[in-house]
Amino acid sequence: MLGYLVALLILGGIYALLTISLDLQYGHTGLVNFGLVGFFAVGAYGSALVALAGYPIAVGFAVGICSAALLALPIGGLALRLRDDYFAIVTLGFSEVVRLVIVNEEWLTKGGLGLPGVPRPFAQLGVGGAEAAYLALVVACNVIVVLVIRRVVGSPFGRLLQAIRDNETTVVSLGKSPPGAKVRALVIGAAIAGLAGALYAHYITFVVPDQFLPIVTFYVWMAMILGGVGRLSGSLAGAAVLVLLLEGTRFVRDLVPSVLAVEMASIRLILIGLLLIVFVIYRPYGVFGSPSRQ
Amino acid sequence: MNTWSFYANLALNGLVEGLLIGLAALALNLVFAVGRFPNAATGDFMTVGAYAGFGAHYLGGNIVVQSGAAMLAGAAVGLLSYFAVFRKLAGRPMVAALLASIGLGFVYRSVVSLFAGHDPRFFPMGTVSAINIGGVRIRDTDVWLAGIALLCMAVALAVLHLTPVGRQMRAVADNAVLAQASGIRSRRVMFALWAMAGMITGVAGLMLGIRTAVSPELGWGMLLPAFAAAVVGGVGSPAGAILGGVMLGIAQELSTPWLGFSYKIALSFVALAVMLLVRPQGLFGQKEAVR
Repeated sequence: MLGYLVALLILGGIYALLTISLDLQYGHTGLVNFGLVGFFAVGAYGSALVALAGYPIAVGFAVGICSAALLALPIGGLALRLRDDYFAIVTLGFSEVVRLVIVNEEWLTKGGLGLPGVPRPFAQLGVGGAEAAYLALVVACNVIVVLVIRRVVGSPFGRLLQAIRDNETTVVSLGKSPPGAKVRALVIGAAIAGLAGALYAHYITFVVPDQFLPIVTFYVWMAMILGGVGRLSGSLAGAAVLVLLLEGTRFVRDLVPSVLAVEMASIRLILIGLLLIVFVIYRPYGVFGSPSRQ
Repeated sequence: MNTWSFYANLALNGLVEGLLIGLAALALNLVFAVGRFPNAATGDFMTVGAYAGFGAHYLGGNIVVQSGAAMLAGAAVGLLSYFAVFRKLAGRPMVAALLASIGLGFVYRSVVSLFAGHDPRFFPMGTVSAINIGGVRIRDTDVWLAGIALLCMAVALAVLHLTPVGRQMRAVADNAVLAQASGIRSRRVMFALWAMAGMITGVAGLMLGIRTAVSPELGWGMLLPAFAAAVVGGVGSPAGAILGGVMLGIAQELSTPWLGFSYKIALSFVALAVMLLVRPQGLFGQKEAVR
């Protein structure tokens, strides 16, 4: 039971990183990124491939984070030129293309079979110890990211991002340049998503393209809206609710054994879809958010 | 088989596929022009249409009955989506409607998979008869499908340009405030819009299901090609969407000898990104700010 709780916390911590990443891009800058899972996938595969090639895990993490951040540069170039709705669809397409490349470039990624045996750090600590150490690593990553984001958001750069979100024309008329700031927000967000991907790959120890379907992006969108757009604590709370929702549905099957696993998956998706709709309509600023904030 | 007929066959296949993409793009464009958001549930409307058509086939209906069932189901989900969700989001930022349409898509797809399962279902093709003209094979199912698609497009364009409600729809698309001020009842326009978009997507879904296989993920995979076609043709331009679809369909098929079957979707992504950067109003669209 304790082991399961640790596993939940680790997953929750990974989703929290993703939610913080999206919240920096959408909540603080207004970039409608529908391709978050693409950066997550690049982080996971980048780190897994490097570690499987025999390099230290830390090098894998660095490669995963950097390749996700680098990939954000061309996407950032698009962001400057497109309206929200177009940017949303283009990023959605981007994440699908990332997945297609992973499926098709079998020489590198083993395609749809996935990469098994991604090394897990702290193996020398035994099963329980390794889990606990990994949780500590995830928590440490979250703390560092939260501190960095708080600094970024509170800095003049962060205020510039929020000004871009609220009224880009005014920002231009004040002599600031939104394009560079937007690209930086995307790159920072992508790096965080890449970190989440690396943490995920080395925890699950197995990566396969099906883990990186667009649905993951919308899980994170739901978590962000649930917790409250533009609130760091909201991102953490939203991620917690998300993991409870994703994992809690397993217990429903214990209570009602007649429900098949595939049926449960469908019911879970219906629930996620409905929550997304209901929150967008009735509580677009989250459970605790107030409309006056934006 | 010589090279010429090889490419001719590919192009022909692409033409039928393109007409199908064009139908979905047409529906996307109609909603975009009047409702002013990209409806990401368009693909899942298609899935519902395909399952309704398959249900009609299961009960012994022929292609006409199947199309009717697909249209009815499509219109039903279109109207349901509007009255339950999108109507409440009028006047809100575009992102709200876009996110809600994503959520709706998940709901439709999962409701379908909950009741029908994930196994793909196939329309029996029987013995495929084909006319052979100098190595170019024209299958009679493709002729049927192309005919149905063209008929749907013609009817849609006729409704838009020849009927009062079509004129009102175009008026709202052109300038919503002005349309309202001149006494156009938006309720009626929206009803017609969503019924029409639903019917078109329903038929497109049925066609896709007949050509490939009916599965819950059927329509979602078509969202990107449909959006690419809509952008290539010009956002808001119904005829442009159809032409964009046909061009994309043919380009996809002709590229398969080099790119392979599995990178088809990537081609729509490239077409989409390049078009938005180079000529954002599309080939046939009016100049409108997309930046």
